[in-house]
Amino acid sequence: MKRLTLLAALSLTMLFAGSYDKVKITPDIAYIYVYHKGKAVKVHRIQDTKHKLTGEYAKQYRPGKDIQPIKLDENVRSIGEVELLHFMRNKVNKKRGILIDVRPKSSYRAESIPSAVNIPLRVKDNKVKFDKILHIFGAKRQSDGSLETSNVLDIAVYCNGLWCGKSAAFIKALLDAGYPAEHILYYRGGFQMWKILGFTTVQNN
Amino acid sequence: MKLSYFAAFAISTALASANHADITAGLSYVNVKADGKTYKIERVNTPNTYLNNTYALTSRPSPPFFVQPFIVTEGVETYGELELLDFISKKRGVFIDARLPNWYFKSAIPGARNIPFKLFLSPSAELNKVLKSLGGVKKNGAWDFSNAKTILLYCNGAWCGQSPTAIHALAKLGYPKDKMKYYRGGMQSWQLLGLTTYVPKEKK
Repeated sequence: MKRLTLLAALSLTMLFAGSYDKVKITPDIAYIYVYHKGKAVKVHRIQDTKHKLTGEYAKQYRPGKDIQPIKLDENVRSIGEVELLHFMRNKVNKKRGILIDVRPKSSYRAESIPSAVNIPLRVKDNKVKFDKILHIFGAKRQSDGSLETSNVLDIAVYCNGLWCGKSAAFIKALLDAGYPAEHILYYRGGFQMWKILGFTTVQNN
Repeated sequence: MKLSYFAAFAISTALASANHADITAGLSYVNVKADGKTYKIERVNTPNTYLNNTYALTSRPSPPFFVQPFIVTEGVETYGELELLDFISKKRGVFIDARLPNWYFKSAIPGARNIPFKLFLSPSAELNKVLKSLGGVKKNGAWDFSNAKTILLYCNGAWCGQSPTAIHALAKLGYPKDKMKYYRGGMQSWQLLGLTTYVPKEKK
């Protein structure tokens, strides 16, 4: 009896796993688990091959929103979705890295990438708050004003998409403060590319 | 009176430019020649325009479609739209659409030449012709690409493996990696940004 339930449970999980094989992420990855606010979230792609992106993130007309360069700084690595998932698995899940959404609070609340924490861009203009954030990242302000960065976390930053300059502004603030470029990643595709590839999102109410 | 007219004009111009979607600050368009005509590449400037064609699809069956890594192979630079526009406007090399012709002739980025990725996968007289046109020289049965042109390749988007496949095949043939560039965003990102596409003329 016990064996039968075990078998049933096993085949059920196999069935479940198989259900994300129609639209996989990479040849080896159909889904990954990430921690979002203490809960494991399964990140996969929408399996309906007829599904189209609609709404705000399908919008093409974006006056005043400059297309961003592929690289923000010689030493800040730009990444795509595959590298972001590796970052979630190897850094965020192990508390060695933080994924940061620098969009306004309202955008983040409505929908975000799983495992992301919200630090709205304007926070960088508040020196006390920004120092607190640097401290959380492991960069400690010394008495002489310099930043101690030998043990900092890896940071990945995103905003709304290819035409959003908020990530660039946030990363510039980090670099200006003395945060080491080798510990910063830039997900340029942002929320728009995440959405158009049909990746799982979460709500943050 | 004249002055207020002038002021009204100045204000309306300022408003118009505030509503104008530029490519990036200080760059509102790029002219490119394709099929003997000049095409102006710019961003869509009609309010409430949404992507709704086949490129709005989020999910394509795998195989063959998978999300592509950001870097195809170490040494091949990945480009975005600004780098692509700089490449074609300054004529820094050959801009290649690596998709199959049925895709290319539906809609492409102005200025791109269609060299389907499959051509690079096996030896043929046609491949030799193409490699020669890119500056390759065949010596004693081996290709010398020391004077080859820089090439920039794209296909359908971040989920399309056609241009990465072409880049891997070219690298295997000995094409220098620093002479290959990859526009990963492809047709999907291009159109999501509302950038100009055109329908290439089929040569009969």
